[in-house]
Amino acid sequence: MRKRFVPYADDLPMRPSTALLSLEQTPPLAVPLRFFLTAPLFGVAAALLALWIGPEHMGSRWQPGVLAFTHLLTLGYLAMVMFGALFQLLPVLVGVRLRRPLPTARAIHLLLVLGTFLLVTAFLTDADGWFVAAAVMLALALGSFILVIGHALWNACSVHETVCAMKLSVTALGVTLLLGLLLVLAHVGSDLAPRDLLIDLHLAWGLLGWAGLLLIGVAYQVVPMFQITAEYAPHLRRWLPWAVVLLLITWSLSFLHLPALAWLPGLGLAMVFALFAMATLQLQRRRLRRLPDVTVDFWYLGLLCMLAAAGLWLLHQGWPQVLRLQQFHLWWGVLLLVGSGGAVISGMLYKIVPFLIWLHLNNRMQAAGQWQGKIPTMRQVIAERSARHHLYLHLAAVMLLFPGTVWPLLFYPALLVLAAAYAVQWWNLVGAARMYRDVLREAGVQD
Amino acid sequence: MPDDAERSIDVSALGPPEPLVLTLAAVEQLQAGEYLRMHHRMKPCLLYDELNRRGFRHDTRCASDGLCDVFIWRQDDAAAAAAAGRVTASLAPWTDA
Repeated sequence: MRKRFVPYADDLPMRPSTALLSLEQTPPLAVPLRFFLTAPLFGVAAALLALWIGPEHMGSRWQPGVLAFTHLLTLGYLAMVMFGALFQLLPVLVGVRLRRPLPTARAIHLLLVLGTFLLVTAFLTDADGWFVAAAVMLALALGSFILVIGHALWNACSVHETVCAMKLSVTALGVTLLLGLLLVLAHVGSDLAPRDLLIDLHLAWGLLGWAGLLLIGVAYQVVPMFQITAEYAPHLRRWLPWAVVLLLITWSLSFLHLPALAWLPGLGLAMVFALFAMATLQLQRRRLRRLPDVTVDFWYLGLLCMLAAAGLWLLHQGWPQVLRLQQFHLWWGVLLLVGSGGAVISGMLYKIVPFLIWLHLNNRMQAAGQWQGKIPTMRQVIAERSARHHLYLHLAAVMLLFPGTVWPLLFYPALLVLAAAYAVQWWNLVGAARMYRDVLREAGVQD
Repeated sequence: MPDDAERSIDVSALGPPEPLVLTLAAVEQLQAGEYLRMHHRMKPCLLYDELNRRGFRHDTRCASDGLCDVFIWRQDDAAAAAAAGRVTASLAPWTDA
């Protein structure tokens, strides 16, 4: 007769292991946490800035207020979380230890915060000096990040598709940075760069290349692992990141030299991201443990917004008379930045942060010779109910932002709800950090 | 075929950190001559360093349902190693897709 351990049976015959988990590959908690705790504050700042500027100056993607708002979200929120996630995931996934991770993360975090503020100030004041200062600061922040993370990725032994997607994503970040620097040069009066053409390239390489590829690569790991699903199909894992990059290159070349044909690779990009969204939704629909999980709901929202963005793009290409160009740009931005990127990243944070708190608490307590019974579970670190409050606010903000970009009357409630959503997220994450400190303090363990 | 030497744990429907914690707890309870068969939906990459540091040997195989079976025994337990070997011989080694 085979003897069997049954997890979670009432007469569970096991005690949790009392030995230390290895932290050799895991950077200190302060490395990713500083990025994760800062990001929602930039989300709040973006919403408050839009409220201050008012709907009359937020009606077109070319207005300085909209540019400031979008860069607070792309650099301050999305990139901030993605930097922290890469610092955390890379050593664990790739097995490469980053040298001096804490001072490196501190420096890059500081440069990114300052660079984002400088760029927002530059957009709002339209002064060349602020643009140059922002360009220098962001070149240092993103450049050092690309060097540190790129060095680790290219020295990795792992051939996992996540590593491949991360390499392509970091390369796309480099392209985005170069295009951004050229745009600053063009703005301050240099003849080095034709400005208008580069803006769409900068946007496409940043959103679809850097953010999109990283999302795909990280999803390969976190969806099966944390959401208890099957793995993505191996052939899909292999070709999806390459398809994104090849289509982006083709789209960029045709956009510059054969604009009449740019819709074709554009259509390919829309189809590839729609396919990724549908494949992920299909995995989640068949997940093995079908318990309510707020992180899965965040993913549903993000993936549905990704599908809607692909659909909106197709609608605009096929029937441009249906929607004014300005309206298309704003709605597309809402779907990708707030609806898709914001929701998926929030879903990931609500798994990664409790897991890291649990992992580090486990080791700190056991290193100090303490019994680990008092360590909170992942669901206690951030309560499902608190995260769900954030989800409902985030969903309401997305729904309100569509009419809010058309009718000024709804503009203010939409942005207020968006500010509240990011504020609740910040409160939830700070609560997790506070719990970490309190558990250690109560146990008499030095932080 | 499993025998008396086998203890098994199915963590295929659990999320992190439960598979890691429960498996490490289970291996500490292995008696002389026993091995643990862990059934999971993916290769448990973070588990191996922990097992090595605790003095356990392991062998990862493709289970009959296509999921992952990890066989674990104490490194100085020849009887357990032999018992695990009799079962793993009929299963294909795990290959990363």
